[in-house]
Amino acid sequence: MKWRRWFRALHRDVGYVAVALTISYALSGLAVNHIEDWNPNYRFEVTSFEIGPLPPGDLSARAAFVVAQLRLDPTTVRGHFQETATDLRVFLADGQEARVDMTTGRGRLKTITTRAVLFEVNSLHLNNLKGVWTYVADLFAVALMFLAVTGMTMMKGDRGLAGRGKWFVAAGLLIPLGFIVYMYA
Amino acid sequence: MIRRPLAPALALALAGLLAACDAGPKTTSTASASTSGAPAAAPAAPAAGETFGAGVKLPDATAIDTLLADPKAHVGKTVRVEGMVVDVCPKRGCWMDLAGAGPGQKLRFKVTDGEMVFPVDAKGKYAVVEGVVAINELTLEQTKEYVAYQQREYGADRDPATVTEPMTIVRLDGTGAVLRDKK
Repeated sequence: MKWRRWFRALHRDVGYVAVALTISYALSGLAVNHIEDWNPNYRFEVTSFEIGPLPPGDLSARAAFVVAQLRLDPTTVRGHFQETATDLRVFLADGQEARVDMTTGRGRLKTITTRAVLFEVNSLHLNNLKGVWTYVADLFAVALMFLAVTGMTMMKGDRGLAGRGKWFVAAGLLIPLGFIVYMYA
Repeated sequence: MIRRPLAPALALALAGLLAACDAGPKTTSTASASTSGAPAAAPAAPAAGETFGAGVKLPDATAIDTLLADPKAHVGKTVRVEGMVVDVCPKRGCWMDLAGAGPGQKLRFKVTDGEMVFPVDAKGKYAVVEGVVAINELTLEQTKEYVAYQQREYGADRDPATVTEPMTIVRLDGTGAVLRDKK
Protein backbone atom coordinates (compact mmCIF):
# COMPACT_ATOMS: atom_id res chain seq x y z
CA MET A 1 0.00 0.00 0.00
CA LYS A 2 1.07 3.57 -0.65
CA TRP A 3 0.89 4.68 2.98
CA ARG A 4 3.36 1.96 4.00
CA ARG A 5 5.87 3.27 1.45
CA TRP A 6 5.53 6.73 2.88
CA PHE A 7 5.89 5.47 6.45
CA ARG A 8 9.00 3.55 5.49
CA ALA A 9 10.60 6.55 3.82
CA LEU A 10 9.68 8.88 6.66
CA HIS A 11 10.74 6.36 9.29
CA ARG A 12 14.11 6.03 7.60
CA ASP A 13 14.79 9.76 7.19
CA VAL A 14 13.38 10.93 10.51
CA GLY A 15 15.38 8.08 12.06
CA TYR A 16 18.59 9.37 10.50
CA VAL A 17 17.97 12.84 11.88
CA ALA A 18 17.11 11.46 15.32
CA VAL A 19 20.23 9.31 15.67
CA ALA A 20 22.44 11.92 17.36
CA LEU A 21 19.81 13.07 19.83
CA THR A 22 18.62 9.54 20.58
CA ILE A 23 22.14 8.44 21.47
CA SER A 24 22.90 11.58 23.49
CA TYR A 25 19.61 11.36 25.40
CA ALA A 26 20.16 7.66 26.08
CA LEU A 27 23.70 8.35 27.30
CA SER A 28 22.43 11.10 29.57
CA GLY A 29 19.61 8.82 30.74
CA LEU A 30 22.13 6.26 31.89
CA ALA A 31 24.16 8.94 33.63
CA VAL A 32 21.35 10.68 35.52
CA ASN A 33 19.55 7.45 36.31
CA HIS A 34 22.29 6.76 38.84
CA ILE A 35 22.54 10.28 40.24
CA GLU A 36 22.22 8.92 43.79
CA ASP A 37 25.51 7.08 43.34
CA TRP A 38 27.62 9.62 41.53
CA ASN A 39 27.71 13.11 40.13
CA PRO A 40 26.94 12.89 36.41
CA ASN A 41 28.01 16.46 35.66
CA TYR A 42 31.04 17.30 37.77
CA ARG A 43 34.20 15.73 39.08
CA PHE A 44 35.58 17.04 42.39
CA GLU A 45 39.24 16.82 43.28
CA VAL A 46 40.32 17.53 46.84
CA THR A 47 43.92 17.98 47.90
CA SER A 48 45.08 18.55 51.47
CA PHE A 49 47.57 21.24 52.47
CA GLU A 50 49.22 22.69 55.56
CA ILE A 51 50.39 26.29 55.50
CA GLY A 52 50.86 26.92 59.24
CA PRO A 53 48.69 29.06 61.52
CA LEU A 54 47.27 32.11 59.81
CA PRO A 55 48.68 35.47 60.92
CA PRO A 56 46.41 37.78 62.89
CA GLY A 57 44.41 40.27 60.88
CA ASP A 58 41.05 40.70 59.30
CA LEU A 59 39.51 37.95 57.17
CA SER A 60 40.45 39.61 53.88
CA ALA A 61 44.12 39.68 54.87
CA ARG A 62 43.94 36.09 56.03
CA ALA A 63 42.27 35.02 52.80
CA ALA A 64 45.02 36.78 50.84
CA PHE A 65 47.60 34.94 52.94
CA VAL A 66 46.01 31.59 52.09
CA VAL A 67 45.98 32.42 48.38
CA ALA A 68 49.63 33.49 48.48
CA GLN A 69 50.76 30.44 50.42
CA LEU A 70 48.97 28.11 47.98
CA ARG A 71 50.44 30.05 45.02
CA LEU A 72 46.98 30.62 43.59
CA ASP A 73 46.22 33.48 41.22
CA PRO A 74 44.96 36.36 43.44
CA THR A 75 43.01 37.82 40.52
CA THR A 76 40.75 34.76 40.53
CA VAL A 77 39.60 35.30 44.13
CA ARG A 78 35.84 35.92 44.31
CA GLY A 79 35.33 36.23 48.04
CA HIS A 80 35.65 34.60 51.42
CA PHE A 81 33.38 33.35 54.18
CA GLN A 82 33.95 32.38 57.79
CA GLU A 83 32.19 29.03 58.08
CA THR A 84 32.92 28.38 61.76
CA ALA A 85 34.90 30.00 64.54
CA THR A 86 38.06 28.48 63.06
CA ASP A 87 37.30 27.66 59.42
CA LEU A 88 37.79 30.16 56.62
CA ARG A 89 36.64 29.46 53.08
CA VAL A 90 38.14 31.28 50.12
CA PHE A 91 36.27 31.13 46.83
CA LEU A 92 38.04 31.36 43.50
CA ALA A 93 36.98 31.30 39.86
CA ASP A 94 35.53 28.15 38.32
CA GLY A 95 34.19 26.95 41.67
CA GLN A 96 37.63 26.35 43.17
CA GLU A 97 37.66 26.66 46.95
CA ALA A 98 40.28 26.63 49.69
CA ARG A 99 39.00 25.81 53.15
CA VAL A 100 41.45 26.23 55.99
CA ASP A 101 41.50 25.93 59.76
CA MET A 102 42.87 29.32 60.74
CA THR A 103 44.43 28.03 63.96
CA THR A 104 46.34 25.10 62.49
CA GLY A 105 46.72 26.10 58.83
CA ARG A 106 45.52 22.70 57.71
CA GLY A 107 43.03 22.70 54.89
CA ARG A 108 41.71 21.35 51.63
CA LEU A 109 41.74 22.73 48.13
CA LYS A 110 38.71 21.70 46.13
CA THR A 111 38.68 21.88 42.35
CA ILE A 112 35.70 21.24 40.10
CA THR A 113 35.87 19.99 36.54
CA THR A 114 32.91 19.25 34.31
CA ARG A 115 32.62 15.78 32.85
CA ALA A 116 33.28 16.11 29.14
CA VAL A 117 30.34 15.16 26.89
CA LEU A 118 28.15 14.12 29.82
CA PHE A 119 27.80 17.68 31.09
CA GLU A 120 26.66 18.82 27.67
CA VAL A 121 24.25 15.96 26.94
CA ASN A 122 22.78 16.21 30.44
CA SER A 123 22.16 19.92 29.89
CA LEU A 124 20.25 19.08 26.72
CA HIS A 125 18.42 16.08 28.15
CA LEU A 126 17.35 17.87 31.35
CA ASN A 127 16.54 21.01 29.37
CA ASN A 128 18.76 23.25 31.45
CA LEU A 129 19.01 25.54 28.42
CA LYS A 130 15.26 26.32 28.41
CA GLY A 131 14.22 28.74 25.66
CA VAL A 132 14.19 27.45 22.08
CA TRP A 133 15.67 24.12 23.15
CA THR A 134 12.37 23.29 24.86
CA TYR A 135 10.64 23.24 21.48
CA VAL A 136 13.42 21.28 19.80
CA ALA A 137 13.14 18.68 22.56
CA ASP A 138 9.35 18.64 22.08
CA LEU A 139 9.86 18.05 18.39
CA PHE A 140 12.29 15.25 19.15
CA ALA A 141 9.75 13.64 21.48
CA VAL A 142 7.12 13.77 18.73
CA ALA A 143 9.64 12.32 16.29
CA LEU A 144 10.32 9.41 18.68
CA MET A 145 6.59 8.69 18.92
CA PHE A 146 6.38 8.83 15.15
CA LEU A 147 9.32 6.42 14.82
CA ALA A 148 7.70 4.04 17.29
CA VAL A 149 4.36 4.04 15.48
CA THR A 150 5.78 3.82 11.97
CA GLY A 151 8.28 1.20 13.12
CA MET A 152 5.38 -1.15 13.77
CA THR A 153 4.30 -0.91 10.15
CA MET A 154 7.62 -1.76 8.54
CA MET A 155 6.81 -5.41 7.96
CA LYS A 156 3.73 -7.17 6.61
CA GLY A 157 2.45 -10.67 7.16
CA ASP A 158 3.67 -13.06 9.86
CA ARG A 159 6.53 -10.81 10.85
CA GLY A 160 4.38 -7.69 10.90
CA LEU A 161 2.21 -6.19 13.61
CA ALA A 162 -0.66 -8.50 12.69
CA GLY A 163 1.64 -11.50 13.10
CA ARG A 164 4.18 -11.98 15.86
CA GLY A 165 4.74 -8.22 16.09
CA LYS A 166 1.71 -7.76 18.31
CA TRP A 167 3.15 -10.15 20.90
CA PHE A 168 6.42 -8.24 21.05
CA VAL A 169 4.51 -4.96 21.39
CA ALA A 170 2.42 -6.49 24.19
CA ALA A 171 5.54 -7.74 25.94
CA GLY A 172 7.06 -4.27 25.73
CA LEU A 173 3.88 -2.82 27.18
CA LEU A 174 3.76 -5.32 30.04
CA ILE A 175 7.15 -4.24 31.42
CA PRO A 176 6.19 -0.66 32.36
CA LEU A 177 2.64 -1.76 33.21
CA GLY A 178 4.01 -4.30 35.67
CA PHE A 179 6.05 -1.62 37.43
CA ILE A 180 3.08 0.76 37.53
CA VAL A 181 0.95 -1.96 39.14
CA TYR A 182 3.77 -2.58 41.61
CA MET A 183 3.99 1.15 42.31
CA TYR A 184 0.33 1.31 43.35
CA ALA A 185 0.22 -2.07 45.09
CA MET B 1 10.30 3.06 -7.46
CA ILE B 2 9.78 4.53 -3.99
CA ARG B 3 9.65 8.31 -3.72
CA ARG B 4 12.02 9.74 -1.15
CA PRO B 5 10.52 12.64 0.77
CA LEU B 6 13.22 14.84 2.29
CA ALA B 7 11.01 17.46 3.91
CA PRO B 8 10.66 15.81 7.36
CA ALA B 9 14.36 15.20 7.71
CA LEU B 10 15.20 18.72 6.63
CA ALA B 11 12.68 20.19 9.05
CA LEU B 12 14.24 18.39 11.99
CA ALA B 13 17.75 19.32 10.91
CA LEU B 14 16.70 22.97 10.65
CA ALA B 15 15.21 22.83 14.12
CA GLY B 16 18.51 21.48 15.45
CA LEU B 17 20.39 24.35 13.86
CA LEU B 18 18.01 26.89 15.38
CA ALA B 19 18.65 25.36 18.80
CA ALA B 20 22.29 26.29 18.55
CA CYS B 21 21.22 29.93 18.67
CA ASP B 22 19.74 29.57 22.16
CA ALA B 23 21.89 31.19 24.81
CA GLY B 24 20.22 29.69 27.88
CA PRO B 25 19.66 32.02 30.85
CA LYS B 26 19.30 35.66 29.98
CA THR B 27 22.28 37.91 30.70
CA THR B 28 22.27 41.64 31.10
CA SER B 29 25.03 44.07 31.94
CA THR B 30 27.05 43.39 35.08
CA ALA B 31 27.50 45.69 38.04
CA SER B 32 30.72 45.79 40.04
CA ALA B 33 31.74 46.19 43.66
CA SER B 34 33.82 44.42 46.29
CA THR B 35 34.33 40.67 46.70
CA SER B 36 33.36 40.67 50.35
CA GLY B 37 30.92 38.06 51.63
CA ALA B 38 28.81 40.62 53.46
CA PRO B 39 25.17 40.86 52.35
CA ALA B 40 23.80 43.99 50.75
CA ALA B 41 21.64 46.39 52.65
CA ALA B 42 18.85 47.35 50.28
CA PRO B 43 19.71 48.53 46.79
CA ALA B 44 16.81 49.78 44.74
CA ALA B 45 18.33 49.23 41.31
CA PRO B 46 17.05 46.33 39.18
CA ALA B 47 19.31 43.29 39.41
CA ALA B 48 21.81 42.89 36.59
CA GLY B 49 23.52 39.65 35.64
CA GLU B 50 22.51 36.16 34.59
CA THR B 51 18.80 35.70 35.19
CA PHE B 52 17.17 32.48 36.35
CA GLY B 53 13.45 31.73 36.56
CA ALA B 54 11.24 34.78 36.90
CA GLY B 55 14.17 36.97 37.90
CA VAL B 56 13.95 39.51 40.69
CA LYS B 57 11.22 42.12 40.78
CA LEU B 58 11.20 43.51 44.31
CA PRO B 59 13.25 46.69 44.59
CA ASP B 60 14.29 46.40 48.24
CA ALA B 61 16.32 43.62 49.83
CA THR B 62 15.81 42.10 53.25
CA ALA B 63 19.08 41.35 55.04
CA ILE B 64 19.73 37.67 55.73
CA ASP B 65 20.52 38.53 59.36
CA THR B 66 17.09 40.11 59.74
CA LEU B 67 15.37 37.03 58.28
CA LEU B 68 17.28 34.58 60.42
CA ALA B 69 16.82 36.67 63.57
CA ASP B 70 13.04 36.39 63.38
CA PRO B 71 12.01 34.03 60.59
CA LYS B 72 8.45 33.56 61.85
CA ALA B 73 7.77 37.24 61.23
CA HIS B 74 8.54 36.70 57.54
CA VAL B 75 6.95 33.30 56.86
CA GLY B 76 4.83 33.32 53.71
CA LYS B 77 6.16 36.67 52.58
CA THR B 78 7.93 37.16 49.28
CA VAL B 79 11.27 38.82 49.85
CA ARG B 80 14.37 39.82 47.93
CA VAL B 81 17.63 38.70 49.47
CA GLU B 82 21.22 39.27 48.39
CA GLY B 83 24.48 37.69 49.34
CA MET B 84 27.53 35.78 48.23
CA VAL B 85 26.93 32.20 47.13
CA VAL B 86 28.78 29.88 49.50
CA ASP B 87 27.33 26.52 48.44
CA VAL B 88 25.39 25.09 45.50
CA CYS B 89 23.59 21.76 45.18
CA PRO B 90 26.36 19.74 43.52
CA LYS B 91 24.13 17.27 41.70
CA ARG B 92 21.01 19.05 40.58
CA GLY B 93 21.83 22.71 41.05
CA CYS B 94 18.51 23.09 42.84
CA TRP B 95 19.64 25.22 45.78
CA MET B 96 22.18 27.83 46.76
CA ASP B 97 23.29 28.92 50.21
CA LEU B 98 23.81 32.65 50.56
CA ALA B 99 26.14 34.14 53.16
CA GLY B 100 24.90 36.31 55.97
CA ALA B 101 27.10 38.74 57.87
CA GLY B 102 28.11 36.48 60.75
CA PRO B 103 30.29 33.36 60.84
CA GLY B 104 28.39 30.36 59.52
CA GLN B 105 25.30 32.44 58.88
CA LYS B 106 23.64 31.15 55.71
CA LEU B 107 20.23 31.13 54.08
CA ARG B 108 19.20 28.39 51.69
CA PHE B 109 17.50 29.40 48.46
CA LYS B 110 15.64 26.35 47.14
CA VAL B 111 13.91 25.83 43.83
CA THR B 112 11.99 22.95 42.31
CA ASP B 113 14.37 20.49 40.64
CA GLY B 114 14.90 21.42 37.01
CA GLU B 115 12.96 24.67 37.21
CA MET B 116 16.20 26.59 37.62
CA VAL B 117 19.62 24.99 37.55
CA PHE B 118 22.42 26.88 39.30
CA PRO B 119 25.95 26.12 38.18
CA VAL B 120 28.05 24.49 40.86
CA ASP B 121 30.90 26.87 40.05
CA ALA B 122 28.75 29.81 41.18
CA LYS B 123 30.39 29.69 44.60
CA GLY B 124 31.83 33.08 45.42
CA LYS B 125 29.53 34.85 42.99
CA TYR B 126 26.97 37.37 44.13
CA ALA B 127 23.32 36.37 44.05
CA VAL B 128 20.19 38.47 44.14
CA VAL B 129 17.24 36.19 44.74
CA GLU B 130 13.52 36.38 45.31
CA GLY B 131 11.27 33.85 46.98
CA VAL B 132 8.84 33.01 49.74
CA VAL B 133 10.13 32.55 53.28
CA ALA B 134 9.42 29.13 54.75
CA ILE B 135 10.43 27.46 57.97
CA ASN B 136 10.52 23.81 58.87
CA GLU B 137 10.73 22.90 62.55
CA LEU B 138 12.31 19.46 62.77
CA THR B 139 12.10 17.00 65.63
CA LEU B 140 15.34 15.70 67.13
CA GLU B 141 15.04 12.51 65.09
CA GLN B 142 14.37 14.43 61.89
CA THR B 143 17.32 16.70 62.66
CA LYS B 144 19.64 13.70 62.94
CA GLU B 145 18.32 12.32 59.67
CA TYR B 146 18.73 15.70 58.00
CA VAL B 147 22.32 16.09 59.23
CA ALA B 148 23.12 12.53 58.16
CA TYR B 149 21.68 13.25 54.71
CA GLN B 150 23.71 16.45 54.38
CA GLN B 151 26.83 14.55 55.36
CA ARG B 152 26.17 11.62 53.03
CA GLU B 153 24.93 13.59 50.04
CA TYR B 154 26.95 16.80 50.20
CA GLY B 155 29.95 15.90 52.34
CA ALA B 156 28.93 18.25 55.15
CA ASP B 157 31.28 18.20 58.13
CA ARG B 158 28.75 17.87 60.92
CA ASP B 159 28.45 14.41 62.44
CA PRO B 160 24.82 13.37 63.11
CA ALA B 161 26.02 11.74 66.35
CA THR B 162 26.77 15.23 67.72
CA VAL B 163 23.16 16.41 67.24
CA THR B 164 21.51 16.98 70.61
CA GLU B 165 18.86 19.56 69.80
CA PRO B 166 16.19 19.84 67.13
CA MET B 167 16.80 22.46 64.49
CA THR B 168 14.63 24.83 62.56
CA ILE B 169 15.39 25.22 58.88
CA VAL B 170 14.73 28.61 57.38
CA ARG B 171 14.74 28.78 53.63
CA LEU B 172 13.56 30.76 50.70
CA ASP B 173 11.37 28.90 48.21
CA GLY B 174 12.70 30.56 45.11
CA THR B 175 10.87 32.12 42.21
CA GLY B 176 13.80 33.81 40.53
CA ALA B 177 17.42 34.76 40.84
CA VAL B 178 20.17 36.80 39.30
CA LEU B 179 23.81 35.78 39.49
CA ARG B 180 26.75 38.07 38.82
CA ASP B 181 30.46 38.11 39.45
CA LYS B 182 30.50 40.83 42.05
CA LYS B 183 28.18 42.78 44.30
